[in-house]
Amino acid sequence: MPKAEGSDAPATATSRSTEPKSKKTLRNTAYDSGKTSTGLWWTLFGLILIATAATRFYRLDQPDHICWDETHFGKFGGYYINRTFFFDVHPPLGKMLIGLFGYLDGYNATFAFEKPGDKYEDYPYMGMRAGCAIMGALLVPLSFLTVWEMTFSLPAATFAGVLILLDHGMLTLNRYILLDPPLLFFISASVYATVKFHNQRHRAFSAPWWFWLSATGAMLVGSVAVKFVGVFVVFLVGFRAIADLWEILGDLSRPVSYTVKHFMARALCLIALPIVLYMGIFYIHLRVLYLSGPGDGYFSSAFQTHLEGNFLHNASTPREVAYGSLLTLKNSITGGGYLHSHMHLYPAGVGAKQQQVTTYSHKDGNNRWFIKKFNKPTPLWNSTDPIELVRNGDLIRLEHRPTRRNLHSHKEPAPVSRKHYQVTGYGENGTGDANDVWRLVIEGGAENEPLETMRHKFKLVHYLQNCVLSTTKKTLPKWGYEQQEVTCNPNLRDAAAVWNVEDNRFPRLPNVSFSAYKLNFFQRFFEAHAVMFSGNAGLKPKDGELTSRPWMWPINLRGQFFSAGEGVKIYLLGNPIIWWSNLAFMAFYLTLFVVKSIRDRRGIISSPHQKALQERALSACGWLYIGWLLHYVPFWGMGRILYFHHYFPALLFSSMMSGVVIDYLVESIPPLLPSGIRNSAYHLLVGVIISSLIYSFYLFAPLTYGMSNGPSTEANSTMYGLRWLETWEF
Amino acid sequence: MGDTEVKHRKVNRNKNKNEKNKEIPNPAVDPRDEGDGESTPEALPEELTEEPILKKSTSPKKSEKKQRNAGKAGTATAGQSLADLPTLAVTCHFNLLPMLLFGVALATRFYALDQPNSIVFDELHYGRYAGLYQKQTFFFDSHPPLGKQLLALAGYLGGFQGDFKFDKIGSSYNASVPVFAMRAVPALTGSLLIPLVYMIMLQLNYSQWTAALAGFLFLFDNALLTQSHYMLMEPIILFFAMSGVLCVLKFRALERSGNAQAHSYSLRWWGWLLSGSIFLTCALCVKYVGVYSYLLGLALVGHDFWEKVLGNLSLTKKQVFGHAVARFFAFFVVPLMVYIGVFYIHLTTLVNAGPHDSAMSSAFQASLEGGLSSIVRGQPLEVVHGSQVTLRHAHGSPCWLHSHAANYPVKYADKRGSSHQQQVTCYVAKDINNWWIVKRPNRTDLAVAAPLDRISHGEEIQLVHGITGRNLNSHNVAAPASPTKQEVSCYVDHNVSMPAQDVWRVEITNREEIGDVWHALESMVRLIHVNTSVALAFSGRMLPDWGHNQHEIVGDVMVNQPNTIFNVEEHRYTRNEDEKDRQLELMTTDFIPLEPVVMGFWEKFFELQIRMLFISNENVQNHMYTSSPWEWLVLTRGIAYWVSPDSNAQIHLLGNIFIWYSATIALAAYCGLLIFYLLRQRRQCYDIHEEAWNQFRTTGEVLLLGYVFHFLPYFFVDHTLFLHHYLPALAFKLLLNAALVEHLYYLTRLIFAKQFFNWMCVLIVLTWMSGILMVFNKFLPLCYGLGPMNATQILDLKLRETWDFIVHKP
Repeated sequence: MPKAEGSDAPATATSRSTEPKSKKTLRNTAYDSGKTSTGLWWTLFGLILIATAATRFYRLDQPDHICWDETHFGKFGGYYINRTFFFDVHPPLGKMLIGLFGYLDGYNATFAFEKPGDKYEDYPYMGMRAGCAIMGALLVPLSFLTVWEMTFSLPAATFAGVLILLDHGMLTLNRYILLDPPLLFFISASVYATVKFHNQRHRAFSAPWWFWLSATGAMLVGSVAVKFVGVFVVFLVGFRAIADLWEILGDLSRPVSYTVKHFMARALCLIALPIVLYMGIFYIHLRVLYLSGPGDGYFSSAFQTHLEGNFLHNASTPREVAYGSLLTLKNSITGGGYLHSHMHLYPAGVGAKQQQVTTYSHKDGNNRWFIKKFNKPTPLWNSTDPIELVRNGDLIRLEHRPTRRNLHSHKEPAPVSRKHYQVTGYGENGTGDANDVWRLVIEGGAENEPLETMRHKFKLVHYLQNCVLSTTKKTLPKWGYEQQEVTCNPNLRDAAAVWNVEDNRFPRLPNVSFSAYKLNFFQRFFEAHAVMFSGNAGLKPKDGELTSRPWMWPINLRGQFFSAGEGVKIYLLGNPIIWWSNLAFMAFYLTLFVVKSIRDRRGIISSPHQKALQERALSACGWLYIGWLLHYVPFWGMGRILYFHHYFPALLFSSMMSGVVIDYLVESIPPLLPSGIRNSAYHLLVGVIISSLIYSFYLFAPLTYGMSNGPSTEANSTMYGLRWLETWEF
Repeated sequence: MGDTEVKHRKVNRNKNKNEKNKEIPNPAVDPRDEGDGESTPEALPEELTEEPILKKSTSPKKSEKKQRNAGKAGTATAGQSLADLPTLAVTCHFNLLPMLLFGVALATRFYALDQPNSIVFDELHYGRYAGLYQKQTFFFDSHPPLGKQLLALAGYLGGFQGDFKFDKIGSSYNASVPVFAMRAVPALTGSLLIPLVYMIMLQLNYSQWTAALAGFLFLFDNALLTQSHYMLMEPIILFFAMSGVLCVLKFRALERSGNAQAHSYSLRWWGWLLSGSIFLTCALCVKYVGVYSYLLGLALVGHDFWEKVLGNLSLTKKQVFGHAVARFFAFFVVPLMVYIGVFYIHLTTLVNAGPHDSAMSSAFQASLEGGLSSIVRGQPLEVVHGSQVTLRHAHGSPCWLHSHAANYPVKYADKRGSSHQQQVTCYVAKDINNWWIVKRPNRTDLAVAAPLDRISHGEEIQLVHGITGRNLNSHNVAAPASPTKQEVSCYVDHNVSMPAQDVWRVEITNREEIGDVWHALESMVRLIHVNTSVALAFSGRMLPDWGHNQHEIVGDVMVNQPNTIFNVEEHRYTRNEDEKDRQLELMTTDFIPLEPVVMGFWEKFFELQIRMLFISNENVQNHMYTSSPWEWLVLTRGIAYWVSPDSNAQIHLLGNIFIWYSATIALAAYCGLLIFYLLRQRRQCYDIHEEAWNQFRTTGEVLLLGYVFHFLPYFFVDHTLFLHHYLPALAFKLLLNAALVEHLYYLTRLIFAKQFFNWMCVLIVLTWMSGILMVFNKFLPLCYGLGPMNATQILDLKLRETWDFIVHKP
């Protein structure tokens, strides 16, 4: 890739006729880094590549135990190798790639990935680590090239590359089996592709134009399909596309249909293509994982029939539910259990002292209920009476089979959720009272539609109290065997009040195979998303729990231990020099922007050279700044648990921006000096910046490559005197 | 990128040139013919065909003339809500219209104001707070106090003593509560809204009929009526916000008038600017959502500054700077003063301790009359060897370090083992088991005697639990609920080779202010376990039944976090050496008198700010009537406010569904038109007159932006939302709706030459208005809680399946 890039990019830079003249004058200044000769370009790029490879792969095998979230993603990657279905709140692409890296390395997914700190021993973990490290390493050349394409300034591109290269945070995060290396790779690749595409605007609809447009689309899918936070870069690209279209529309020399053509091309490559690819990824995901595994319980009954090894796979049951059927009812919310009761009463002081009703997530004989008409006893299976089907709107009773008590509710507060009513088992041998009567309401069902196993979701509305049978998912105390609470909720719109029939036994009706209930790909696709979103929404911090907040991130306030136990200690923390100067450069950019806008507004004219410099810096920084905002600000509004590593996509933009700003500074400070020392001042500045970056990298390198044990206050510690902030925990 | 910039600017310049051309009355060059030929309007307006010379200033005159003719021919009613109407109507109706609207508003808002004479919805809170103001008792609420202060003032004038106990929604008020006076505050502000919006529309250059239509929409919206009829904050906040917007618009008019220079710094100029910012700040002081109105005002003033001052090259640098300073003063300094002033009143009024004190720090509580100060009054300041203390977890939810005579279970539910030593927890209530005795590791006596053995930063201590006499201990065993943390226990010697590790080092975190010696209340301390270097910490998790659902205390390696900070709240010196006597002492003795804590206004102000802004105590999960922002657009859910105990008569917050739907459609139509015009103008096609476009654009700047500011943030907040949160955004939407009606009328005239279509328009608007009136009337009983109603009457109102009215009687 860099080869094609390198020969292409400088060529465009010099040969493009549309380039404003000012830019040429800019290049020809004495202290500028020369005429951007292709040789120098390649030298710098090559040096950066070598340094990248060296830093990324040095001691990659250390520590040789599970670090931090490797315990999740290594495990998930392994599931793709042994084909086991699992559940994770993130989309599958990142884990598929990890699985692929492992597979290429000959990993057979036998390692348990139990908890952080476990030794890998002889299991081949290096394939997965190296795969992630390569993806992470590509960030450096990609940032270099992105900034190059934005400014065509070699110093700017070099600074941007070096800032990414020498940041310990980027380095540490991108060396382990995590989702972040692929995520960051796809984000920076999307940005690069879209910038590259933008630079093809003068030869619209040419082959490279199409290539970079569709590459943008493909990389966007990658970032979203690794983690949903990848969606922010989609917004960035979207804004860029709208801005481009607005430009094109304003070109009065072209007809409107030309704009429409441009619009259609973008819709095709940035909307249609990504959707197809995204679906494709899920198709592979669902096809590859066909064995029952730890994730089954999160999904609906119908979904589980697809999984080999699940008891619902290839089972058969009557399609309709008739009166007298023996049923198990499953709650339809994510991770909902089976309606359950057992021969134990609610203790004194918890509503009426009647039999407990709970939900229980395991299969059990106590999950079985007879369904019967509200005014008739259960018909016998061997009777010859005509079979009556249960229909939408019917009044029914449910009789718990082992104890022969009816599902009952009354105006007593529920055990944990005091605002709901208590649900009990009541009566003897199937005879109860009027409070056992429930009305069956099929969700979206037609009037009198017969209830079908698995396919229908329904609510049970208490006839007298007008409340719905629901589970709160709150765990009952010991007297309830830590099963989950079942209540009757007066709020009929409770989302947790939806149930479905999972098992249905009635010998007089013909059994149909469960495969009849199989979902098509789209249904499974949407269900998988619903489950992921509800899983994400459920990641709420508990009261008082210490979570990382977004304001802490840019100032590098607190890191994250990757490996804390005995032996090698790894601590994820940014290079403070880079992070803090990033903030300073961002402030500088904003000031420059405001000052320039006001000067323009007041009609103050700068020298053409200064003007060209400013415009180059500002236009590149503008987009990078929007990228930073898009990847940072949304976290302020998120209620879920946040971690330090959520900042790294934003850091990518921030560092690239710093590269551009540093370039602007080293270009505009020397001219203020006497002409004699301009040239040396320029080289001095560049030298100081680069060497201080390298020195800071050297200082903090043990963060990444392993710190010695013992507190940093001791003189023999590798981190002696480097605990600049109280909050750093090494 | 540079080249596109240049091109962009050139296009703009072209556009400007075009605009300039247009204003030259040169019949030979029709500016519309420039561009790519797509620009000619599909049907030329009448004026245009008659007279190609299109000078902007002449067109209103012409249309007026035309309208006059039309007015003569038409009927009187047909004139309603027309844009430019007979001059006759203009002269006599001008002042009458808003008066009439205001009169009707007063009548609807004040009708049966003291009925129902019982607590309706959030009157429970606001009424209670108003009562606490009368008693000067401190309370904590996460919203600023201005609205409550107004209610309290009205209550005070009405003779409220604050004796009524606001216990639950639906309880009847007794004679001591001046219901009418207190409800008059929202009723009055809610009525004043109507003339306010009338004036705002006039200020936006709309005709009086459109302005009246806006007033009409506000007047007959059931949600605004319901909200104005009870002690609730929304009418107050809307009143302040709309007044502020009006003042800012008046200020803009000065800025944009021909001789802006002459008006600068005049009395009117200052008046509108300052009153605008003060009103907007008041809105912010009622509820924090008022900040969006303030931001809207700021954006408008900032935009004008950019356009009219910075862009005006005839102004000198000095003048520009002067203008910037004046605006900075008005929009930053003045609001800050108002905001602080409101809190100054709040904190100087509320000097007595009350039920909400525990939300605040110990020092804050100790500064209040009567509350903690009666308990801690005169307790010794310096913590010494032999001090008996309660240690309060200093941040977030209050709890005290606690232990009791029960051990950790041998095995937890997840099969992990424990040390089986005595439990140490954090308990949310004050309890005798919260007492600990501070002890030097090397001393055995406990009674305090002179000279005092003070404990300072960095010194090592043991903590003896007062009632059980065991020492606070920690060791390398996983904590019960947070397995990654270390267990903290009170040491019990089980003889299983687990030695006591009960020495802790005291770290005072704020010793820069307080000094090195450990002080009660003021010193924030962290207890570091000497053997393992972990800090005593509150983990936020709750223990199950065996731990009596108290909070877990752990040893945490993360030393530097708020959860590790404790302070001594109650404090006294040990008198008796004997353990039995000491326990008796713990249970019976009183405190040694000394000085109470004095806290200045600023300290209190900043602490209150931090608690209000950063510590969310609101957590109304699973409320039955919550709704999401999307649902507000189509009025999916209402809120049950009150139900009569003896019939189905009830108060239910619901908007006028007819208004809400048309406003949502209007919003979409406005956005659609805006995009259409922008795209067309980008191609140099100007479909509407410049004047109409300017009006349309200003409408967007004020009303659409206002709507977006007040609506969009709700998608990003994380707490429970209700329909009434939408009302500020709705206000802007209703104005936008009225504005769009006039714009559509303008378009009809532009496109269709025939008078007939104008009349059709008017007819449609009139039909629409009568529909609104019908719906308003139908749902009126739900606003006032009129009754009695039977189940059928209620179900008859249930137009949407999702509206949950309460039917508890046949």
